[in-house]
Amino acid sequence: MADLQDDLHPAAEAGRADEPYPEEAVVVGPEVYEPVSDPDDAPLTRARAVLAAHPVADGYSGLPQALRRLPWYDLDLGESAVDADVPRLRRGQVGAVFWSLHLPEGHDGDRAVGATLEQLDLAKAVVAAHAEGLRPARTAGQIVDARNCGRVAVLFGPAGAAALGDSLSVLRSLHALGLRVLTLAGASWAGEAGLTRFGEEVVREMNRLGLVADLSHASTPTIRRVLALSKAPVMFTRSAARDLRPHPANLPDELLAEVGEAKGLCLVPLTAEQAGPTVRDVADHLDHIRTLAGPECVGLSGTYDTRSAHPRELRDTSCYPTLIAELLRRGWEEADVALLTWGNVQRVLRGADFTAHAAQQRRPPSTATIAELDG
Amino acid sequence: MTSLDDARALLAEFPVVDGHNDLPWALREQVRYDLGARDIAGDQSAHLHTDIPRLRAGGVGAQFWSVYVRADLPDPVPATLEQIDCVRRLMARHPKDLAPALTAADMEAARAQGRIASLMGAEGGHSIACSLGTLRGLYDLGVRYLTLTHNFNVPWADSATDEPGVGGLSAFGREVVREMNRLGMLVDLSHVAATTMRDALDATSAPVVFSHSSARAVCDHPRNIPDDVLERLPANGGIAMVTFVPKFVLQAAVDWTAAADENMRAHGFHHLDTTAEGMKVHRAFEETHPRPVATVSTVADHLDHMREAAGIDHLGIGGDYDGTAFTPDGLNDVSAYPNLIAELLDRGWSRSDLAKLTWQNAVRVLGAAEDVARDLRSTRAPSHATLESLDA
Repeated sequence: MADLQDDLHPAAEAGRADEPYPEEAVVVGPEVYEPVSDPDDAPLTRARAVLAAHPVADGYSGLPQALRRLPWYDLDLGESAVDADVPRLRRGQVGAVFWSLHLPEGHDGDRAVGATLEQLDLAKAVVAAHAEGLRPARTAGQIVDARNCGRVAVLFGPAGAAALGDSLSVLRSLHALGLRVLTLAGASWAGEAGLTRFGEEVVREMNRLGLVADLSHASTPTIRRVLALSKAPVMFTRSAARDLRPHPANLPDELLAEVGEAKGLCLVPLTAEQAGPTVRDVADHLDHIRTLAGPECVGLSGTYDTRSAHPRELRDTSCYPTLIAELLRRGWEEADVALLTWGNVQRVLRGADFTAHAAQQRRPPSTATIAELDG
Repeated sequence: MTSLDDARALLAEFPVVDGHNDLPWALREQVRYDLGARDIAGDQSAHLHTDIPRLRAGGVGAQFWSVYVRADLPDPVPATLEQIDCVRRLMARHPKDLAPALTAADMEAARAQGRIASLMGAEGGHSIACSLGTLRGLYDLGVRYLTLTHNFNVPWADSATDEPGVGGLSAFGREVVREMNRLGMLVDLSHVAATTMRDALDATSAPVVFSHSSARAVCDHPRNIPDDVLERLPANGGIAMVTFVPKFVLQAAVDWTAAADENMRAHGFHHLDTTAEGMKVHRAFEETHPRPVATVSTVADHLDHMREAAGIDHLGIGGDYDGTAFTPDGLNDVSAYPNLIAELLDRGWSRSDLAKLTWQNAVRVLGAAEDVARDLRSTRAPSHATLESLDA
């Protein structure tokens, strides 16, 4: 399955009719990573070369919410009131970004479904209004399509668990509208004590649909249960290493090891609060998580436009090459950088789709209700 | 050939587009969306007005499935998404019979394939919770009409069966209509007050529908359409889809219902009370006062009048099956449309008239709404107006 999901190695060309069918079975092994940069170049030059081939898939952005506060904006030409606009996404060599649909702080969860529909509507309108720079995408394949068209792919999610209104039908409707990621925190069925029976049914239905579970800010029992239960890889859209910096959403070492075993994906936020005040602090977290969970289980989460403070060298979305240069300076293999920036998110999204295709053959849509399962 | 044979032959070519069917709500109430427990692939006449064999027998070629939810739910938006999910699951479950349809072209394609085009309509402005973003979400999920109100007013529009509120449409209400025009979602004026009908006809730049309403001149009930509004349909291009609900179409049934409600109130119950004691009082009344029965001819009388007032190009059919407890004699379920067509043939309606009534008018109206939307979208951005900003 890993071969099928690994986008770093493009699928073999379809066979040609004039070539004889091989007499013996041909075993296709994993392709060897082909370096794209000159090891003798300066780290920043190398970083740009690697990012040109393997751009950043950024796991969390609050841009739609930030734009809502502005009376007027122009993302095409540049917008200084936010951290991300099309010119800076291009300078930062960003190829894909997840737009958060989390409700603003202070929203009490009442009428969360309607509020999420409004967030989604706003996000879609922003993408549609910047068609030269941005393109909506739902799958790993569509992300690649967007990139081939020179557009930054925008994925919708994560949304908070409250967005479901405790209904699997609403989950399916939000998925139909383009939601790709759901954070399993902030609902009665995914609380401090872990998942309830309904919560487990939500995870199964997410697997069936191809919705990725986000476990940042989820409780430890919820994290453990989902790691065991989910048939598809999970994400942590904003989690660094707790042993380096205490923060409730950061993951302790033993959980990082479990994430590695489950082939989940921990996306490190580039914020001062969670990772630290310098680019070196962020790199320390990436080093730490790569060591504990593995290079295929770590990625990047800009967390821009969320009113968080960022390391000075990483103040906006144009700064990713600076971070990648720091990693290369520390001796990261190019292949690991390629996984970090692009390959791992592709793997998780392909895994989610793969699981969904398989599950849809076996399972009809779930009609379970919270009243029936959680009484 | 009898006129019933003629009717069936005609429907084979120009099947019925029905404007309103409450099967999703019935499935929610009866079996909590357990589609296996009410499998519409087989006979469900013991529980429902609607199943696929009877839709086929009735010559139905397109159905607007209502994604209605009660207006008194604490939050109608998630319930509306559940109703939409129900329709999507029905379509996925019966792909040979139900064809998902979003456009007039989809409807024609379904007819060519011999499938039943399945569209969705939301019944009541409460389903958008005063949010144009939510309205667009419903459109993206496939909803192609919104009835502006149900039985009660919404903050921006008056219902036919409530006290006057904003006096028709408020400024935000007109903005809802404009945004629906921009999207290509039909404005449905069933259930709304006559003042709202007139305001909406003033505000809209696309044809409107009445998904299930009959003529007030034939039977004086607020759910029906007054003549001055019917007379505006030719200029607007819209359609009035006649409904069969006895307590709206038959004057004797209107009067009987009023008397029954009065009897309930006299016994200290709300007139819609469905508790055991309430139903007992109601049944006692029904035993001494037999419920008047509407017939196919009652509905045909409405169509004859609506044709006079609005013209043959502005009629359609909206049975409200599974949304009403009682049906006229001869129109007992979705298999019965041929009886209505036969009655109209007997009254001298021509084949081309009937083709307009059953199929062509409704398809034309959806197509026209799409054309208007295509024009408007090129010049107008999505509206982010709010109730507070316009109606403060």
